[in-house]
Amino acid sequence: MIPLFFLVLAPILVGVIFYLFFKPKHRFIIPLFQCLILAATIINFLHVKQYNTYMETLGGWGRGIGITLKLDPISGAMVVLTATLFLAMVIFDYRETYMNNLFLFLFLSLEGMMIGIFVSNDLFNIFVMIEVSTIIVSILIMFKKDSRAIYDGMLYMMINVVAMLFFLFGVGMLYKTFGVLDLTLIQQRVAFIHNSQSLILPYAFIMTAIALKAALMPLFSWLPKAHATPSAPSIVSAVLSGLYVKNGVYLFIRVQKVFETHINTMDFFLLIGFLTAIIGVVLAISQKDIKLILAYSTVSQIGLIMMGINTGNIQAYWGAIYHIINHAIFKSTLFLTAGIITETYGTRNVYKIRGLFKSMPAVSIAMIMAIMGITGTPFFNGSISKYWISYGAQGSLAEFGIVLINLGTIISFVKYSTMVFGDSEMGRINIGLNRKFIVLAMGFACLGGGILGNELMRFLFDQYMVITLGSYINKIMIFLASLLIGFLAYHLVIKKSNILSRIRELELDFNSICFSIISFFLLILIYLKYANMRG
Amino acid sequence: MGYTNGEIAGIIIFFIGFVGLLSRKNILKTIICVEIMESAIILYFISSAFVEGGVPPIVPFNADKVADPLPQALMITEIVIGIAVSAVALTMFIHMYHKYGTTNWQKAMKKRRNK
Repeated sequence: MIPLFFLVLAPILVGVIFYLFFKPKHRFIIPLFQCLILAATIINFLHVKQYNTYMETLGGWGRGIGITLKLDPISGAMVVLTATLFLAMVIFDYRETYMNNLFLFLFLSLEGMMIGIFVSNDLFNIFVMIEVSTIIVSILIMFKKDSRAIYDGMLYMMINVVAMLFFLFGVGMLYKTFGVLDLTLIQQRVAFIHNSQSLILPYAFIMTAIALKAALMPLFSWLPKAHATPSAPSIVSAVLSGLYVKNGVYLFIRVQKVFETHINTMDFFLLIGFLTAIIGVVLAISQKDIKLILAYSTVSQIGLIMMGINTGNIQAYWGAIYHIINHAIFKSTLFLTAGIITETYGTRNVYKIRGLFKSMPAVSIAMIMAIMGITGTPFFNGSISKYWISYGAQGSLAEFGIVLINLGTIISFVKYSTMVFGDSEMGRINIGLNRKFIVLAMGFACLGGGILGNELMRFLFDQYMVITLGSYINKIMIFLASLLIGFLAYHLVIKKSNILSRIRELELDFNSICFSIISFFLLILIYLKYANMRG
Repeated sequence: MGYTNGEIAGIIIFFIGFVGLLSRKNILKTIICVEIMESAIILYFISSAFVEGGVPPIVPFNADKVADPLPQALMITEIVIGIAVSAVALTMFIHMYHKYGTTNWQKAMKKRRNK
């Protein structure tokens, strides 16, 4: 077992040392270091798989006094995922000129912060890490100093700072009630609370911030801008969209667990998740900028994950956890390939890029595999996690909702995949071997995650479900039908109507986003006050 | 004491700051409002740990009541973070003003769309 604080500190320290004492040409150290971190996280994961949870209190203080770090199978898997993706990212952009000391320092610090958020068990510590990572992310977004990126980065930072103030206020109220900041201890003490009314306000404050971090329904307007800003390096977009949003989802799971004896908001967040997913796909279909299509599809997939978590069914829950991992893999592949495409073609307009398969076959194969993953094509990883989620939602309205969402995803990616076909006058384009290797490896990971899906679930989380041939064929039929409908709907109806350009123009400014924050906050308050109290 | 204590004041000031975020379009005023909200949280934390006649828990002490030192320690951290955030925000604002020539969120949004 490697100490957890080491995993948080090591990337930051290596970043600082590299920034101070090394030259950019020595950056071969960074992938080697990432391999070490990956090995350490895998050792830790195997340990928690055997012993279930691992707790570590910093500074030798007792529980409730010192800061505690906690690793359980879910966070262990998330940490391994973080280390894997960061290794892939630094190899992918190994030869780029902007990978200078400053960039690597920021990027490695972001890795440390993300691992920290996954393992931390202390509310104030989580607040500090999110605040620091917000600053780092906003600097990474505007790293190339493009004028659009500066607006996006500024908006991102201000919105997230405001949301984290809500979080801090909620933490203050919880501390006043319970006298501890440790999530596990709070969970134990929540059981002694007689009057659940006193938990409403802190819950609403904290949930508002977490919902914004996870980009739920009224609060996602910052996400597409931050994830798809034109000049941001594609590895930054990939990490933000693949992993950083998952921090919010993961915190949602943790905090929900703390309050679960008194506050039941499952139906509420099931509905919010559904609305998030639907609005996400509608906006994704309407975009013409390839990175924006991907960013909005992240919103819709987050909605799907939220639906899985809040169905109240164990299969759907683990399906959602598996979907978090799958989404990280295919979405970062898509962002990386989109980065290569925009660099070579010099445009981000989905209608102008054609003939990818002829100009860069390897990249387009990786892209198609990722698309198959995200649309839930049989034998790819998305199909397994979506199967689990819809199995859990069987017999309820949510099952229809999931089919509908998948139809929307298929339509948006039918539009996206038109880039592959046709002719281009670019000729064959040479792409660096490291880039080809990374995107292809991640593309094949999508296939592997599908074929070995159930084995992986058993290995990672000890969950097993017998997928009968009949039900799987049923799913394949539904998929093929939605593919057909999606294809026809896109080519016959959506492409020709001009409603798309009208939806595309929708954009919230800073004040309206603040308004959506306060309305979400009030919505939770009112819902908890009148609709759904236990005990 | 009733309802006139620091915690209630903290909550009120927090939402006064938020009203500023809702109604002001000036980016500088937005940053100031965020600062106001931060001060409100600091006030809330400090006064929630206030004990009438309490002393700091530094040994040796001769009093029955001790004030909880943790919220104060947390707030020192929060003040440092707040300074860092406002410094970064102001730096970004200067850059943004150079590129866009406006201090207004809406005008900046329109200019960004047309770029």
